[in-house]
Amino acid sequence: MSLILRTTLPDFDYLSPSSLDELLALKAKYGERAAVIAGGTVLLNLMRLGFRYDYVIDIKGVRELSAIEYREGRGLVIGAAATLKDLENNEFVREKYGVLWDAVRQIGDFHLRNRATIGGNICNPTLQADTIAPLAVLGASIEVSSMRGSRRVAIWELVKEGGGLLLDPDEILTRIYIPELPKGSRGAYFKVWWIAGIAALAANIDNPRERIVRVAYSFAPSQELVEGVEKIFRQEKPLKVLIGDAINYIKTSITPPSDARASREYREHLVEFGTAYLLRKLLGVEV
Amino acid sequence: MRISLTVNGVKRVADVKPNERLLDVLRYRLGIKSVRAGCLVGDCGICTVIVDGKLVKSCLMLATEANGSNIVTVEGLSTNMRPSPVQRAFVESFGYQCGYCTPAFVLTAHWITENMVNASDEEVARVLNSVVCRCTGYKQIVDSVKLALKWRREGGER
Repeated sequence: MSLILRTTLPDFDYLSPSSLDELLALKAKYGERAAVIAGGTVLLNLMRLGFRYDYVIDIKGVRELSAIEYREGRGLVIGAAATLKDLENNEFVREKYGVLWDAVRQIGDFHLRNRATIGGNICNPTLQADTIAPLAVLGASIEVSSMRGSRRVAIWELVKEGGGLLLDPDEILTRIYIPELPKGSRGAYFKVWWIAGIAALAANIDNPRERIVRVAYSFAPSQELVEGVEKIFRQEKPLKVLIGDAINYIKTSITPPSDARASREYREHLVEFGTAYLLRKLLGVEV
Repeated sequence: MRISLTVNGVKRVADVKPNERLLDVLRYRLGIKSVRAGCLVGDCGICTVIVDGKLVKSCLMLATEANGSNIVTVEGLSTNMRPSPVQRAFVESFGYQCGYCTPAFVLTAHWITENMVNASDEEVARVLNSVVCRCTGYKQIVDSVKLALKWRREGGER
């Protein structure tokens, strides 16, 4: 028994840099031979499934990557190794970035969120990355660093078709930036198991010309942001009518995948139902 | 690699390989038998331990990551063979059946009584959600936690 348990993870060397420079130097040196571990809740499972790495680099030793900082007027900066529990317990995340908070508390379970990190949730290519859709509607950008320097891009530009991030072998996701939102903005996340996740954000609801309504979808593992929705909600029509228009538009512009967990038809049903539910809730429209 | 841990107040040292999990080290090297292997993928929560004050599933943590940390298992709850109030509440409310998940539930309940004394039933359920009882005796487990919380709020043991 003990032998089986002890041999389930393949051999690797464990590296624990204590500064960002050291971390980036190690990643530059070993590239794809090295996996980055933050919470490890996915990596350990991947390794048991046969993913092999010569090195596992622990980024938790780099303290600055675990910080969550809010600055009035500038927004939120989240270190990639901040745990989901840190986000869940953060008052700014809860009060100002409700869509992210709502998504985070639906990931894994209470114990796992003590370990799992937001960076891991964004980068891991296997499961439903429940934080990506909320970050997309929040207009977040991410900072990717390597020895060559760091670059900051909209999260949407780096999301791969099948999930995960488009990073070079020497690059590491280091921070997530979320801009300040208009006062009174609201967001919520609708999740059905590993079948579909829907993120919705609404702000400036009473003023059609400045109204912001965004939705994004996560169909483990592919992600879709529907760009045209905001334009629909800028029209001067009753909100109820606009919600109907938006759903019709969304239905024609995204194609959910079909897989072992759910058929495309079922996901289409969830998109219609979940989007209507979220938009009615956020915009205060009765059925 | 040599790591040192404080397990239930006692300093322990172990020579571990990088690919050993905290679960492996606690159970097989340090002989802490309340830490049990279940699904090993983080679903069932049977391997729950408290690491630096946080509930953690030890099958998803490398032993090396726990170097220098303070670990509490069920063995650390009782004093001089006398069960803690939380353990007594589980006995009183029959919060166990086959017993396999019991250490994890007791430890989770211990954390709840230490950290969220005034939690609502819903909040308690959200935490207990992390551990699975295959006998499905959840009613009694929830009752045990509520009893432990009641004792705690009313000031110590019965």
